[in-house]
Amino acid sequence: MKVLSLYVERDTFIHRLEPITKLLYALISIVITFLFPSITVGAVFVASSLSLAISAKVFKRMILLLNVVLIILLSIVIIQGLFYSKNATPVFKLWGLTFYKEGLLYSLLLIVRVVNMIISFGVLILTTRPSDLVDDLVQKGLSPRFGYVLASVLQIIPQMLSTTSTITDAQRSRGLETEGNLLQRFSAFFALLGPLVLNSLVEARERAMAIEIRGFGVEGKRTFVREIPETKADRWIKVALYVVFTVAVVWRIVLWIM
Amino acid sequence: MSDAVIKVDGLWFAYKDNEYVLQDINIQFDNRPTAIVGQNGAGKTTFVKVLKGLLKPSKGDVWISGTNTKETTVAQLSKIIGLVFQNPSDQMFKSKVIDEVMFGPQNIWKDKKDKNFVYEQSIKALRIVELDNKLEEHPYDLTLSERKLLCLASVIAMDPKIIILDEPTIAQDRFSTRKLAEIIKELIKDGKVVLTITHDMDFVAENFERTVIFYQGQVLDDGPTEKVLSNEENVATAHLELPNLVRLAKALDFKTTPLTIDDFVEEFSRCKKAGD
Amino acid sequence: MDNVSTLSAKISIEHLTYRYPFAKNRSLEDITLSIDAGQSIGIIGRNGAGKSTLCYTLSGLIPRFFHGKIEGSIKIDGEDVPTMSVEKLIRKVGLVLQNPFSQISGAKMTVYEEVAFGLENLGIEKDEMHERIDTVLKQFDLYKKKDKNPFELSGGQLQRLAIASVLALQPEILILDEPTSQLDPCGTTEVFEAISQLKTLGITVIIVEHKFEKLVEYVDKIALLNDGKLVKYDTPEKIFSMPQIEDYGVGQPIYTALCKRMGLKKPNGYYPVSFNETVTLLSGLKMYE
Repeated sequence: MKVLSLYVERDTFIHRLEPITKLLYALISIVITFLFPSITVGAVFVASSLSLAISAKVFKRMILLLNVVLIILLSIVIIQGLFYSKNATPVFKLWGLTFYKEGLLYSLLLIVRVVNMIISFGVLILTTRPSDLVDDLVQKGLSPRFGYVLASVLQIIPQMLSTTSTITDAQRSRGLETEGNLLQRFSAFFALLGPLVLNSLVEARERAMAIEIRGFGVEGKRTFVREIPETKADRWIKVALYVVFTVAVVWRIVLWIM
Repeated sequence: MSDAVIKVDGLWFAYKDNEYVLQDINIQFDNRPTAIVGQNGAGKTTFVKVLKGLLKPSKGDVWISGTNTKETTVAQLSKIIGLVFQNPSDQMFKSKVIDEVMFGPQNIWKDKKDKNFVYEQSIKALRIVELDNKLEEHPYDLTLSERKLLCLASVIAMDPKIIILDEPTIAQDRFSTRKLAEIIKELIKDGKVVLTITHDMDFVAENFERTVIFYQGQVLDDGPTEKVLSNEENVATAHLELPNLVRLAKALDFKTTPLTIDDFVEEFSRCKKAGD
Repeated sequence: MDNVSTLSAKISIEHLTYRYPFAKNRSLEDITLSIDAGQSIGIIGRNGAGKSTLCYTLSGLIPRFFHGKIEGSIKIDGEDVPTMSVEKLIRKVGLVLQNPFSQISGAKMTVYEEVAFGLENLGIEKDEMHERIDTVLKQFDLYKKKDKNPFELSGGQLQRLAIASVLALQPEILILDEPTSQLDPCGTTEVFEAISQLKTLGITVIIVEHKFEKLVEYVDKIALLNDGKLVKYDTPEKIFSMPQIEDYGVGQPIYTALCKRMGLKKPNGYYPVSFNETVTLLSGLKMYE
């Protein structure tokens, strides 16, 4: 059984950081790149996120992650380069289409933002066991029920995928063409939804019973088998992040007023 | 052999590169009702999925009634070979019993002029499993045993020559298991080729002429049930158990392998007479 | 009424009747039985006879999880189950379900943490938590798998994990609802071996099972249910010696069927139910050696 997790087990400084520290970095760096419409600010954060990925020894995985969104990034360049509303200065022509400077610059801004979003969250996801992140959040006050939903989704989605392939097999076995043309595939997909949803509901109900029996609904003090420690480094980094964030917000407000 | 309905030639199968779940399987199936036994993970389900054409061999060939599974689609094959999956809820797509059974026939006889044919065919199948009084019910409102029978009816309705059952006795009470055994007998009388995956050894002993033991992706033993189940060593290697009656017979030093209570009583009284 | 036996009983059920919300028929009807501490009880009956419903009532899932009206009373150690606090109930009763896959919490990434799930919910202190987890994992031969993802285990291992996870909560009563129905012979044996350990721990065990040849080896008494009613609650030999047992669609151990066919009873007038009893009885009759 596969588990839906991108976690790469390594022993690095970044891996040892508290998950919330990494989450905080991701959130703050993303917010700042969106606060300032500046390619330079974006590039600074891309560089910093990338260096974190390198020091966590997950650079290769990160490239794979970025590959997934390559097409989206490319389409941003094309669409904005051609159709951005403030386009005025032509730069070059390709197959008879004119690309404009303003659009290209704007697309570059969007790209640094998106790339930073992926890398900074990538660092979190690639270097943190998903259940540690959830445990950490629950220990800091997140509702255990919400935490359970987050943690279980990661394990249960791969299970649903394997159910999906069994159902598809059952349909093909009963003479349904699932390969053929688009229409056939489409109707096969709809036939799949009914049993998939019902199946998942039945399983979810059983699982709900099972966790109820194991005290999930009990109110009161909880303990944690894996305590997620907040180290000195975590505290310093968090302070630094808050400072950077505050400075950024203040600066932005100042720019705005002036 | 000319009467082989299924021919498997040098079959290898791997889900991932070079991790072979099935290794060099050469086997033929004829009209004899056959049980395929083995512990979980021995490759039984993968094997029947290959027979059914859902998986294509990595190496080797599978012929179903003379058709190579590589050269046709699963939907085409479903006219000759039917598979009842283990879990009913993976294979129920409709909200009425009758619609559920008609699902397969509607797919394979799309071009049939006679509109009533599909319906008649489905009713006939439901009559065999005795669910013809529940046509309008929702499949999920049936009991688990009835749902299993509904899935079987859905395959019978497509009138395939070969019917494969995957773990039909799991989570069933004795009454339902007995009913299933009767249905299987009826199918055999009708000229169907019935193969069953199971680890219910009592069920095997009572209902199947031939037994194939799978172990680690290979055929460990194959032959008349009586012979296969008399080989205690093979059964133990495959992490299976002898049928209860056979175990009893071994403890009492029987010379034969009784598969049914009748066999047992006969042999027991023969021993007694010999002793008199 | 003999109040004495009711008082000393671990579990006492009196005139219990229950119907699921929106259901046409009652799932349990006027059930009365009592179970002593440390006893092992089998529950048998056809699919739909009310076996699971009885398990849910005993474990408090009815009425906490499934609503609907309960009539009659169901008590553990003299205390009413439907009104007992959840926390107390969990420490009294554990429940293991049929499907090993759907009772794994799904939120934990290792076997070790999976066992911890219930303990965390109950707020068990860390040291004790580790001690309990180590104990149950060793008990059920899962210690070597402690760092594996639960979903990588085989069915038998997963079911043992489910039992271990519930036992870590140290319940006095353990209810198992068809724990082996999804398992192969190997997995079934593993689970039954685990069950026989429970007996030595003094735990009261209630088990629903269709594999009678195995069941009779482990239980003191059997409750036979039919259409939500309790037909008979007695020792296995008395249950299966009933002439009308076949009418309830549950079948009987193949050994009992064999001896009935041969007209062979034990000296006490009942038919044998287990392998050993049958071997003893038949080898006494066998003369040719």
